[in-house]
Amino acid sequence: MTLLRPRARRLPLNAAACVTVAVCLFPVYWMISTAFKPSKDIQSADPQLFPHTWTLDHFRKAVQADGFELFWRNSVLVTLAAVLLSLVVALGAAFAVARMRWRGRRQFMLMVFIAQMAPWESLIIPIYIISRDTAMLDRLPTLTLVYFMITLPFTIVVLRGFIATIPPELEEAAQVDGCTRTGAFGRVALPLLMPGLLATSLFGFITAWNEFAYANFLIIKEQDNRTLPVWLSSFQNTFGTDWGATMAASTLFALPALVIFLLLQRHVTSGFAAGAVKG
Amino acid sequence: MPAIRERSAPRTPQHRTASGPPGDSPRRRSPRPARGYWPYVLIAPAIGGMLYLLAYPLLRAVLISLQDFRLRQLIAGDAQFVGLRNYRTLLSDPRFWEVVARTFAFMAVNVVLIMTISTLVALMTERLAKAGRTVVLCALVLAWAMPVVAATTVFQWLFHSEFGVVNWLLTSLGFDSFDRYPWFADGGAAFAILVVLIVWQSVPFAAITLYSALTTVPSELYESARMDGASGPRIFRSVTFPMLRPIFVLVFSLEVIWTFKAFVQIWVMTRGGPGDATTILPVYAVQTALSSQRYDLGSAASMLTVVLMSGVLVLYFRQMFRQEDDPR
Amino acid sequence: MKYRLLAGSSTLVMAATLSACGGSADEGGDGHTTVDVWLMRDSVSAAFQKEFVKGFEAKHPEIEVKVQIQEWDGIGEKITAALASNDAPDVIEVGNTQVAQFAASGGLLDLTDSKTELKGEHWLRGLAEPGAYEGKQYGIPYYAANRVVIYRTDLFEKAGVDAAAIKTRDQWVEATTKLNKGKTQGIYLPGQMWYALGGFIWDEGGDFAAKSGGKWKGALDTPEALRGMEFYARLQALGKGPKDADEDDPPQAQVMAKGQVAQVISTPGGANAVIENNPGLKDKLGFFPIPGKSADTPGAVFTGGSDLVIPAAAGDSEEALTLIKELTGDTWQKKLAVAMSYVPNRTTLASAVADDPGASAMAVGAANGHATPNTPGWAAVEAENPIKDYMTAALVGGDAAKEAAKASAAITRAMNANS
Repeated sequence: MTLLRPRARRLPLNAAACVTVAVCLFPVYWMISTAFKPSKDIQSADPQLFPHTWTLDHFRKAVQADGFELFWRNSVLVTLAAVLLSLVVALGAAFAVARMRWRGRRQFMLMVFIAQMAPWESLIIPIYIISRDTAMLDRLPTLTLVYFMITLPFTIVVLRGFIATIPPELEEAAQVDGCTRTGAFGRVALPLLMPGLLATSLFGFITAWNEFAYANFLIIKEQDNRTLPVWLSSFQNTFGTDWGATMAASTLFALPALVIFLLLQRHVTSGFAAGAVKG
Repeated sequence: MPAIRERSAPRTPQHRTASGPPGDSPRRRSPRPARGYWPYVLIAPAIGGMLYLLAYPLLRAVLISLQDFRLRQLIAGDAQFVGLRNYRTLLSDPRFWEVVARTFAFMAVNVVLIMTISTLVALMTERLAKAGRTVVLCALVLAWAMPVVAATTVFQWLFHSEFGVVNWLLTSLGFDSFDRYPWFADGGAAFAILVVLIVWQSVPFAAITLYSALTTVPSELYESARMDGASGPRIFRSVTFPMLRPIFVLVFSLEVIWTFKAFVQIWVMTRGGPGDATTILPVYAVQTALSSQRYDLGSAASMLTVVLMSGVLVLYFRQMFRQEDDPR
Repeated sequence: MKYRLLAGSSTLVMAATLSACGGSADEGGDGHTTVDVWLMRDSVSAAFQKEFVKGFEAKHPEIEVKVQIQEWDGIGEKITAALASNDAPDVIEVGNTQVAQFAASGGLLDLTDSKTELKGEHWLRGLAEPGAYEGKQYGIPYYAANRVVIYRTDLFEKAGVDAAAIKTRDQWVEATTKLNKGKTQGIYLPGQMWYALGGFIWDEGGDFAAKSGGKWKGALDTPEALRGMEFYARLQALGKGPKDADEDDPPQAQVMAKGQVAQVISTPGGANAVIENNPGLKDKLGFFPIPGKSADTPGAVFTGGSDLVIPAAAGDSEEALTLIKELTGDTWQKKLAVAMSYVPNRTTLASAVADDPGASAMAVGAANGHATPNTPGWAAVEAENPIKDYMTAALVGGDAAKEAAKASAAITRAMNANS
């Protein structure tokens, strides 16, 4: 009886957990499994929950489609550059906000919060005009800058929270030992901040990796500068009915994000806790 | 030089809480006085970025919304000012108000579902054994990592009228009316699918954040509440929620912003259709600007969107201001 | 001052180094000019494209042609972005229903002066008119096509149906019903093929929109248009076409290639796509014009096609014009018409495809050709396409009249949004 009780109580809890896991994973699973099924099994009146026969045809088709490698590389470049840039810039700003007192600090934070509401879909025309007038159309750095700006406000907010969780006393101790203020921050606080930086960069990564509208509208003539989301959408147009190939392409597109998130899972969950509470 | 100053400033938690609100004379009253230009140097890149990449385009957008700005003006660039005409056109258009109402409904449904489900998931995760917790967290993280475009494509495939697994499932469960049911042809159904998609995409972030916040609540608080004989819901109401209030407000506000601005999912999936059934403000703005080439009306619509959204977020700003007052 | 001097000299050094690297850097390499051409997905076959580029470059060795294929989905925005940029592609293919808005935008090069040289007096009207604005010619007619019925000769034979005898709608429905047995679909008609619906509406004397008092108004809710939709629904039911998709999703050529579809409505070029997907059907495809209400008039069809334009911002407009002259000239027009089963851009060239069964079926229908409303506002209707939503709603059992009124209101709004 005493042994059974906690179990009985845990049953609904575990059932709920199972449902959660299933609901979260099913679309991901369905994407991957469809990508591996032969076309005739995909377009059948009763779908198989588990593929009977496996095939790599769809992946071959997706990879061999025009310029796949190039767009993959473009996306990686743009995304990494945007994330790094916004981390560096946000780190400075977050440090100033969390550790220093200065006139205009509140106004600055208010500005950052308001920046989060920016109607990016409608800024596309002004940004198009500005890029045109500064000869920045058709170029990947333009996209990098836009993505940097889209992710910056959120990055500042979260990083500020993270920095606030690190006791300033640690740095001060280092300063007593003769470090400069930057040195103290770099040697003591930065390592502690690593999980926070990782967690925050994930958000930037997923945003930049995903972005479609700007990539579609600002890259006009130089089709070699297209990024993966644009490629995925044109792929869908070209291969329309071929859900296997479309799912294979989606899988290849999602894979980097899935892998990185999974690898950093612990940091995401533990890091956000600390950072977000204070944020 | 800074090091000397650092040392000369005594710093104990008590002292910090005792210091007054910053702003009027931070140099004297704050434990960490501003050291000249340093903070400004640190925020300069962020400010610069925000001014050039955000404020300036935003200003141009406001300008466009006050002009007669169409395809010809986009190409030739000789737009004329028309004052508030575009805003008048929008505000007197019943279709615009339908879109506004739909946007609020869409946001409300999504945010309520997201907050409820993610709170439940967070509470559940905290109670799980270690292994189970890891599995659930991994699943959440994976769903969260799924890129929007890929997820949207997958959902289109799940709800495909002919070979979609959802129709197959419903038909095998005996709901024969779902045989080849065209989900995206019916306004209500398309709306529902978008809600499911957005909730599915948003719950992981909210649940993980809330869960991590839960882990910071000292367990003694629960113990003592339980000893007082409080029930589960009661504990949540009187212990958990008050402790996590700031984080609830933060997540809530972010979700409001994100669902208010949900665009890619709708654009890729339904383009706002069928009819206007899934047209919310951002979709309306883009449709007006890019498809009908009324860049002026589109700009005006998004300015109004920002205003409406800020209205919802007054709470958020209040909270934020209170926090900034609270010196660390 | 010193700084500037330094900068100046380093520029000199750099220039010297660059020129020392051999070859001149101007004109994109070795005296070539590159002409960027945007063509639409599936408007020409890969083989024709290759042949043309090769032939053109051989004739004009100083010009290099770079073709980019664009998707129909979202093309309006893409062309807008290109026209407004400083460095637009040099030649763009634009659908004849969309070219009017761009002609009116001021972003295209005025090609009126070349009209005589391009034999503009023989141009197909359905292509030349939308390409003109206020008396000036911006769009040069490229090719036209209209829809016919592509059918499986073997399946017709097996069912004992004679395609040549199908002259009226009633005969058509009767034959299709007969074919629609067992695994065979009588006709594969997706629910949102709005050009086909247009034909049926025009047959009844209706239209998508009508102009009254200087204002365009959606007309799907007129009795004529409703009768057109009724017939569409009747035909659509004689096969398994999805009610919520158009002919591109899935591409109907691929569906027909699977072998169980007796008829599709398509441009004759669609037959090539079917054969590409299933070479076994090579000698089993035939064509007949879409039947009309009575035997003496063929069914009304939508005259589709494309124009070629040169953006005002194009870098190499002279070379672009050279390319347009070649592509719309006798030689390549004839080759294109044969390769793709298109109607050439000039009436005088019609004989080029006289022997082609698909083209001759198309020619019968072309006699009753119609166009979408010729106004810059129409493109907005296509971009949103309330017609497709209406068709699906009516087909899944909605109240057709109510849905039609809704769609008409949407058309009215879209067409007048820009005036």
